[in-house]
Amino acid sequence: MRSLKRYVTLLLGGSIMLGLAAGLLLAQVDQGNYEPGTLGQLQQAPPAVLSEDSVYQVPAYPLYPPQMAEGEGRAETEGFCSLCHSTRYITMQPPLPAATWEAEVTKMRKAFGAPIPDAPAALIIKYLQAHYTPDTRKP
Amino acid sequence: MDIRTPANRFLFSRRSLLRLLGAAGGTLALGDVAPRSAAGQEAAGLPAFTGPGASPYWNSVGPWVSEPQKASLLLLTDRGVQLETPRSYFQTAFTPNHAFYVRWHLEGIPNAVDLKSWRLHIEGNVAHPISYSLADLVRKFPAESIAAVNQCSGNSRSRLQPRVPGGQWGNGAMGNARWTGVRLRELLHAAGPKTGSPQVQFQGLESGGGPEGYGSHFFMKSLDLSNPVLDECIVAYAMNGEPLPMLNGFPVRLVVPGYFATYWMKCLTWIRVLDKADDNFWMKTAYRVPDTPRGNTTPDEVKAGSVKTIPVNRMPVRSFLISPDGDAKIPAGMPVQVRGIAFSGYGGVTQVEVSSDGLKTWQPARLGEDFGAYSFRTWEFTWTPKIPGRHTLAARASDGKGNTQPDQPVWNPGGYLWNRIERQDYFVGAAE
Repeated sequence: MRSLKRYVTLLLGGSIMLGLAAGLLLAQVDQGNYEPGTLGQLQQAPPAVLSEDSVYQVPAYPLYPPQMAEGEGRAETEGFCSLCHSTRYITMQPPLPAATWEAEVTKMRKAFGAPIPDAPAALIIKYLQAHYTPDTRKP
Repeated sequence: MDIRTPANRFLFSRRSLLRLLGAAGGTLALGDVAPRSAAGQEAAGLPAFTGPGASPYWNSVGPWVSEPQKASLLLLTDRGVQLETPRSYFQTAFTPNHAFYVRWHLEGIPNAVDLKSWRLHIEGNVAHPISYSLADLVRKFPAESIAAVNQCSGNSRSRLQPRVPGGQWGNGAMGNARWTGVRLRELLHAAGPKTGSPQVQFQGLESGGGPEGYGSHFFMKSLDLSNPVLDECIVAYAMNGEPLPMLNGFPVRLVVPGYFATYWMKCLTWIRVLDKADDNFWMKTAYRVPDTPRGNTTPDEVKAGSVKTIPVNRMPVRSFLISPDGDAKIPAGMPVQVRGIAFSGYGGVTQVEVSSDGLKTWQPARLGEDFGAYSFRTWEFTWTPKIPGRHTLAARASDGKGNTQPDQPVWNPGGYLWNRIERQDYFVGAAE
């Protein structure tokens, strides 16, 4: 009985001493902080399967479709712009003035020959101006 | 020739357009699902875009992505492929191939090249059109090597005020490699350009869905046959001693030392001597800079239509503070090695200086090994900040032609030629 009591006292005393030591340590450093990482968001590529012939190849280039703003003209914008390039060309831009978006769509049609008829072109311009200018772009 | 590319997949017929609109529906559905993880990442990371102010970040703000033969790089766009090299890869004079930035113009780029049928053609206004296999290039000609910086004309475009449309690069649309291959002059000599030919045009395995005769169909660039830079050009089959990654131009690419990367044709397949100056979109309309000091102009001058332009050419002198990158505090009183790189398209870096007092006084940095006039030159500077608080270091380089980086910004509508003095903020903390 006595020995048990002594053991408990020792244990308590030890805990307090440990606690004091931890307190001292905590005053100097911050330890053992973890939080959930981004596991699986960027996977390693599997090893390549190669042959000794004269063909040198790489896998398909990955597509990463961005989230486009909801609104009238989104389907036309995604459809026509994706004829030649991904819509990341839009989401990558800084907020641009309304006139710049009109000039960009005109450049795609005139300088690059994009086959966008007048009606959808007007819709696309309106959509870009409604969501991607300094006044309208949301973070 | 068996070159598998998705080129001309999209013919501009009503039927294919409808098919694509259908495909876009699929994209749309994907787009609704994919951002769950992306948004989660972005919530804890950088904003998805910068502006309308200048981007304050060293690199562009896109997510990390994994592309064939590449380490994780920063995504600008996925089709065409544009990837930026993260800052930490510039701690060395040579940029690893797997981290080298990527910039294509059109979506139709090779996934496979069959070297049994692939040939480099020297053709056009020549006496003897001739073709070489990769084995010919390696065996029949002496191998020449040069260390040279490849920098996108629009590197740092996200710094411009007002912002301009285009690839919103941070500072990582550049890299330095030791390129090995055949002298362009030897190949031209073998074909014999006819006298009076003004230019030579370069075309690679890059094409897009646009109609013929438009810039969206082929990407082509030209240089004057009288341009002395042609004497230094190399058709490179090796990059840092290894085959080129597909995304950097396998099997060969043109190396134009000192010039912006727009001329460094990837997957070079046609060297075409022209009988008149090239007026294709990529020469006549794109990649042009104002014919003014530093290529500077204003939105008003552009609007007035008074700006005469010339094709972008040599790279102005630049320097970069690479490490430390400012993301960790520095204890006051501790000497820190500040490291960076510098380069110039005008005759090599002669000096790098660092200022710790807001550009009032400058101290010389120690230059690293000299790998030639067109290479990155590393530099180092020992800095001992004494007082806790926010400090700013600035670095400026000078080149062999006597140019020194100015602190004035550059503006032109293409977003080219940025070379303003770079700054880095550091937080210094109390050491006791």
